[in-house]
Amino acid sequence: MRIFFTVCGLAIFTAVLTAQQPSSQQDLVSKYCLTCHNDKLQTGGLTLEKVDAAHPARDAETWEKVIRKLRAGLMPPSGAPRPDRATLDTFRASLEASIDQAASERPNPGATALHRLNRTEYANAIRDLLAIDVDVATILPADDSSEGLDNIADVLGTSPALLERYIGAAAKISRLAVGDTDIGAQSVTYKVRGDLTQDDHIPGLPVGTRGGIVIKHNFPVDGEYLFKFALLKVNFGPEYGGASKGEQLEMSLNGERVALLNLESVPYYYIRRGGGNANAPAVPLEIRLPLKAGPQTIMVTFIKRTSAEVDDLVQRFEATTADLQTGVQFGYTTVPHLSGVEIIGPYNIMGPGNTPSRTRIFVCRPGSASEEPACAKKIVSTLARRAYRRPVTDADVDPLLNFYRAARQNGTFDQGIEMALRRIIADPQFVFRVERDPSNIPPGGTYRISDLELASRLSFFLWSSIPDDELLDIAAQGRLKDPAVLQQQVRRMLKDPRSDALIGNFASQWLFLRELKNRNPDLLAFPDFDDNLRQAFQRETEMLFESIVREDRNVFDILKADYTFVNERLAKHYGIPNIYGSDFRRVTVQSPARRGLLGQGSFLTLTSNTNRTSPVTRGAWILENLLGTPPPQPPPNVPPFPEARTGQGVTEVATSVRDRMILHRTNQPCKGCHQIMDPIGLALENFDAVGRWRATDSGSPIDASGQLVDGTALDGVDSLRNALLSRPDAFVGTMTEKLLMYAMGRASHYYDMSAVRTITRDAARNDYRFSSLVLGIVNSKPFQMRIKKAEETQ
Amino acid sequence: MFITKKHLSRRTFLRGAGVTLALPFLESMVPAQTPLRNTAAIPKTRLGCLYVPHGATMYKWTPATEGKGFQFSETLSPLEKYRDRVNVVSNLCHQSASGADAGGEHARSAAIFLSGGSPQKGGVKSGITVDQLAARRIGQDTPLPSIELAIEEVSLSCGAGYGCAYFNTIAWQTPTVPLPMENSPQAVFEKLFGDGGTTEQRLARKKEDRSILDSIREQTLGLKATLPSSDRARIDGYLDDIREIERRIKTVLDREAQAVNKQSVPDAPVGTPEAFEEHVKLMFDLLTLAYQSETTRVATIMLAKDLSPTSYPASGNRGGFHGASHHANIKANMDNFALINKYHISMLAYFIDKLSRTPDGDGNLLDHSMVLYGSSMSNGNQHDHDPLPIVLVGGGSGQLQGNRHIVTPAHTPMANLLLSMLDKLGVHQDSFGDSTGKLEI
Repeated sequence: MRIFFTVCGLAIFTAVLTAQQPSSQQDLVSKYCLTCHNDKLQTGGLTLEKVDAAHPARDAETWEKVIRKLRAGLMPPSGAPRPDRATLDTFRASLEASIDQAASERPNPGATALHRLNRTEYANAIRDLLAIDVDVATILPADDSSEGLDNIADVLGTSPALLERYIGAAAKISRLAVGDTDIGAQSVTYKVRGDLTQDDHIPGLPVGTRGGIVIKHNFPVDGEYLFKFALLKVNFGPEYGGASKGEQLEMSLNGERVALLNLESVPYYYIRRGGGNANAPAVPLEIRLPLKAGPQTIMVTFIKRTSAEVDDLVQRFEATTADLQTGVQFGYTTVPHLSGVEIIGPYNIMGPGNTPSRTRIFVCRPGSASEEPACAKKIVSTLARRAYRRPVTDADVDPLLNFYRAARQNGTFDQGIEMALRRIIADPQFVFRVERDPSNIPPGGTYRISDLELASRLSFFLWSSIPDDELLDIAAQGRLKDPAVLQQQVRRMLKDPRSDALIGNFASQWLFLRELKNRNPDLLAFPDFDDNLRQAFQRETEMLFESIVREDRNVFDILKADYTFVNERLAKHYGIPNIYGSDFRRVTVQSPARRGLLGQGSFLTLTSNTNRTSPVTRGAWILENLLGTPPPQPPPNVPPFPEARTGQGVTEVATSVRDRMILHRTNQPCKGCHQIMDPIGLALENFDAVGRWRATDSGSPIDASGQLVDGTALDGVDSLRNALLSRPDAFVGTMTEKLLMYAMGRASHYYDMSAVRTITRDAARNDYRFSSLVLGIVNSKPFQMRIKKAEETQ
Repeated sequence: MFITKKHLSRRTFLRGAGVTLALPFLESMVPAQTPLRNTAAIPKTRLGCLYVPHGATMYKWTPATEGKGFQFSETLSPLEKYRDRVNVVSNLCHQSASGADAGGEHARSAAIFLSGGSPQKGGVKSGITVDQLAARRIGQDTPLPSIELAIEEVSLSCGAGYGCAYFNTIAWQTPTVPLPMENSPQAVFEKLFGDGGTTEQRLARKKEDRSILDSIREQTLGLKATLPSSDRARIDGYLDDIREIERRIKTVLDREAQAVNKQSVPDAPVGTPEAFEEHVKLMFDLLTLAYQSETTRVATIMLAKDLSPTSYPASGNRGGFHGASHHANIKANMDNFALINKYHISMLAYFIDKLSRTPDGDGNLLDHSMVLYGSSMSNGNQHDHDPLPIVLVGGGSGQLQGNRHIVTPAHTPMANLLLSMLDKLGVHQDSFGDSTGKLEI
């Protein structure tokens, strides 16, 4: 890598030649590439000396690297002689055409390794199998990621610890789903983030309330449950907002109020539950209630006492808890905040109750003992078919029924079913996605996968879950391979709410939204940043992606949509007037700068440091995730970026991030890559580290100008967006490649790039609609076929 | 049909503890009358690292005299009863907790307590901690290599630009993998002893798991034959995992079957005790059981988190912990803060007492333990990291003397002590964190 940097730096000093049309592709390579990419230098680990540009399919792996750089306009590098855009585009087109021709004659669809369901897939599969939502984060460990995705089969390994958790999960889930009454009390705590501002309405909670939390809790059986409420404390001990008078905490169950607790302020700044004798011991903030089994919605919130403007002596931050000490200082008006709700139970169990999961499991009820075996077989067969994602035979069901019978002997019919269910969920055929090679195919041969395998690929791609009965039936009848039927199924599945997984699972990983919750901008620099804003950032980007999926829009709207989704908090942050309330609504974006992802708080915060912007991170992020050309890692021993020293008691003359970067970049080995990354990031300097618009940085006016490698001049976010749009193949190719990796559960390889290009070319004819990318992937060779690997790869 | 379960009081939980677990190291395995260290079964040291934030009032902490038979200070007086096993180590410092920005003092303090690494702002990166190095050495043949315990809940909001991981744990498996700490006794119990409210339930479920695993193993063997050859290696790994879990279950069931004194683990606790003292003691009870049964040998515990607002009325100081530590260097406030320090030390004394009364091999658990207790701050008011309040308790399986007040040269890195502890645990390396050498302990 270090060689790469140095030589790119040197390239600037080579003589600037006048670009002339080369007589052939090989001449072009010799003239513009071989100076660096020869056998001796192997710049960037690449030599083109011995490969033949006239027959690129012979060295497709090498040429795909070249295509990738050309697609994003990154080669030849700045300062080096460069032919015009048309010449480079023609060159790339000819490379692609020959490779694609060869690939269509002899496709390599690749093969995904044996695939363990990851945590999300497991939870969704349980939901669709048993009609029960489990908090999977508490029962299974997090999965490893690769390629920015956590469903890549190669890294979804197993270990004794993991298997132990899966076996334990099977026991817990089957107990919960069947409604086992032989269970002890358990405690579950729902926490409220300490940086959630709670002086106003929270989406999802009743109007007229402030702060609080909405909980969807699954109660295992009919019985009594204890609810305990905790209030946020300041870090000096007392409750935050403890001086506020007349506060009331409300709990509701499925929309009905079940408790209203008066909070009484005790000098100084402590809170106790009111209503009794002031000298009596404090009554705990808790309530015990009988509840029905099954999923119930619990809301815990405060009654909003006033909406009057607060006129404090000291300026208030948007984030009420930016400095928890303000909660006990004079001059601030503060109100209590909820910090958590603990649910403990069941006590005094009254029965298994009537839950959606019991309805789903017990497809028959034995009227007498003699009907039990037949009914058990029906229940177990139905569950096994869905769980194994294929029709089942007696050979599959008999071992399961042994577990039923063993448990039935010592217990009830329900306990027998519970045991068989536990065995099913623990089965490798549920936990792994199994695909089998036909025996009549020679090693290295390719073949079309079975309809049932295709059904699973489809449901895990679009729903991150198991197929439903309709899909399974069609596959079992052998009809799924029919292109018309397949397309009809894809469209049906995209309409189904389960396809939300494409937003919550795919987009949130591709666009790093999952990372947002871990980002904590420096509160000294950004005292207005709170969790309400963080959630709004995430929601905005999710809703943009959702609109593209649900309305089947052009995927370039991710970059250029002239609409977005805001609530009052986010609108205020962006400076959009006249938006009130916590609900999100679609608005037309008036300022061109805010159009699409590049103007959204989620992306801008995710790519910033805690206390300042990071143009390098922004540039590198765009190169990797939007253009498909990740820059190499920096070499070791890079001197640190010169930070402005601010904070308590430290004063230093601050300079702008741009000025400090220029200083940093003079370091010769860094220059090569930073020349690519930095202009991209610097074009976004009008957005601060939490995505607010700004005209100055540390007193200097923002200078968002720069030049891309291909010579395009930049002067801010609009010109950067236009530059990205001017290379549609790069963006849509990158998105397609990511979506293909997600669909296949494996990293992409050079031999997949033909499929990517076929998909994007077809999508171009369909106005780049989202469904055209999805259908393109579903109809692609990697998705419908498989190669029989010659030997073990592990 | 169901017994109402109230919050389990510690006393109920304790019933029979001490001989509660079917011991893995059965007396029958040691030849009669043989001192343990003369047999092949040399006990492995249990390591416990306890962290308190916010420092201490040092003039109430540091003993007035040095060396053997030193005079106990006011704050440390609850430990005097176990004097033969106590080492007070003075003059250590954790300079890597200092930094340019004042807001990060607390975040860095927890992160570097056991490593002397250098935590970085923005990302999640510190240093591997001493407990995890020890776990690689003495935790590989136990069901859990290590266990991480906390009393307070996970912070979900952490200021000053440092990730919450820096506040929420003192255990780092690698420089980028902080280990989450568990504060629910119920979750800790399940992690240690399995799923189920009673011993009968737990054993019944283990037996059911065993038959499920048995059936799955056969199923998997059948499956393997039909899989692409490239997937067979993965399935072989899975089969190994199944065998390993079966082995673990067998160990537990065998222990139960062979136990002479067939008393079982107490019922699982429900919920989290509200009172600090009850919560801490319950966690220590669980940890003692885990040590005794060798379910794990390595533990880290945070008695509180940095910036904790918890108040301890039983200490005599009614203020919040963090607030009290900012005593403005006023003597009356500092004296008052020392009450909290002493109260925390009395929790340590409870743990030490418990270990000393739990038989283990030819002695007791305290003989075979090394318990580090301390803070990464000195005077919490100005966020000093020098000199630190540190005690090291336990016999370390004959490796550690006691009854000493060890005064090191001024500004000796805390990492020197950590390095020496590693040495005594069988992990030999030349340096650790910002260490400058080993300490004679």
